[in-house]
Amino acid sequence: MSEFYEGLAEILEVDTAEVKPELTLGESWDSLAIVSTIALIDDVYDIQVRPEKLADCETVGDVEKLVAAEQGA
Amino acid sequence: MPPPPSLLKGRAIPAHIAGIATYLPEQILSNDALAALYPSWPAAKILEKTGIHERHIAADDETATDLAFAAACRLFDSGAVERADVDFLILCTQAPDYLLPTSACILQHRLGLSTQIGALDINLGCSGFVYGLSLAAGLIASGAASTILLLTADTYSKFIHPQDKSVRTLFGDGAAATLICAGEPDDIARIGPFVFGTDGSGARDLIVEAGGARCPRSTLTAEETTDATGNVRSRDNLYMNGGAVLNFTLREVPRAVLALLDKTQTTAEDYDRFVLHQANKFMLDALQKKLAVPPKRVSRHFERIGNTVSSTIPFVLEREMADGGCSPGTRMMLVGFGVGLSWAAASIVF
Repeated sequence: MSEFYEGLAEILEVDTAEVKPELTLGESWDSLAIVSTIALIDDVYDIQVRPEKLADCETVGDVEKLVAAEQGA
Repeated sequence: MPPPPSLLKGRAIPAHIAGIATYLPEQILSNDALAALYPSWPAAKILEKTGIHERHIAADDETATDLAFAAACRLFDSGAVERADVDFLILCTQAPDYLLPTSACILQHRLGLSTQIGALDINLGCSGFVYGLSLAAGLIASGAASTILLLTADTYSKFIHPQDKSVRTLFGDGAAATLICAGEPDDIARIGPFVFGTDGSGARDLIVEAGGARCPRSTLTAEETTDATGNVRSRDNLYMNGGAVLNFTLREVPRAVLALLDKTQTTAEDYDRFVLHQANKFMLDALQKKLAVPPKRVSRHFERIGNTVSSTIPFVLEREMADGGCSPGTRMMLVGFGVGLSWAAASIVF
C-alpha cells in the first residue's frame, strides 16, 4: 500500500501523508497522470487497468477499488 | 523437396548490419516553443516528463522520402557501399509521396541505383525497422538478394495538430539508411532469429483516421474537437490513446522478449544491449523496470530527436557503432513495438 501511495503522491505532486482514499484527484488528474498511474499499478500490482476506467475515478479510493476489481477478475 | 540452390553447404546464408547513416531535418521544435503554446505545460515539465529537449521537424516541402534520400546519400558518402552494389531497396514509411507509385521505386531513380534491383515500400511504424530486418534477412538467406538498403523514414509532424500537446511533444521527424549484407556461413555476425506479434484490435489506439480508402478526407473529417485535457485534433490528425498503448507495451514486450530468449535458448545476461523502440522516457523506464535489465544495458537516444517512429532503433545503433559499442561478437536484442498494433523482436550479433 505504501509503495502505491508513494507513487501516487509523486504523480499528484502532493506529500505522501496527504494520500488517502478520500483524497480527490482534482485537476492534476490529466492524461499524463493517468498514464503514469497505469505504469504504477502494473509495477506494484502486476495488473493492467484501462485508461477510460481510470479517467472516471474521482478519488484515490476509486482507483483502489478499480485495482481490487482487476485483482479479483 | 530439394533444398534451394542458394544454401551454401546446406546452411542458410547469414545476414549482418554493415552500416547505418541517419538524417534529421534542420528545423527544431524546442520545449520553449512548445511551452509558449501550452500555458500549463512549462518547458521544465515537458523535459521532466518526456525526457525530450527538442525534436526535428521536416520543412513544409520536405517529405519522408526526402529524408530517406538524404540518409541514403550519407550512407553512400561514408563509403559503406557503392550505389551499383545495392540489389534490393526496402522503404519503411507511413507517409509515402503518393498512394501510387511506390516511393521506393521513385527513390531507386533519385538515388541512381541499378534498374536491375528489387524495390518496395512497407507500411509499418515503430515496429518497422525490425520487420525490415526480417525481410532483408529472409531475402539474403534464400539467396534472392545480397546487399540490401533498408530505409526508414517518417514525418509524423505532418499528421499532428499544432494544438495537440499530447503527441506534439513526443514525436520527431527523421530517417535512417541501414545496409544489410550477406555473409559467410561461418560468420558469427548475424541477424535473427525473430519473434513477431500483431494485434489489430488496437488499430484505433494509434491512428490517422481520415485520408485512406476507409474514410476519405472531407470538410467533416477536418472538423476540430477538443478532448478533456484541452488537446485539439480532427480526424485528419494523429490520435494516440497513450494509456492503451502503454498497457499493450507492458503486456506484449516482456512476453516477446521471453519468447525470443526461449527461441534462442539464451538468457538476458547473454545480451550486451537491449535496444527498445525509443517511444519516450516514461515508457522506457516502465519497460526497463519490468524486464529487470540493468539500466546501462538499455540504450537510450531520444533527448534531442524525440520519437522518430520507424527510425528510433537505427538512430540508437548508429550511435552505438560510433561509440565503439558494436565490436565483433556484440549481441543485442532489438524490440520494435507500436502502431498497428504491431511488434517484433530480433537477436542480432555484430
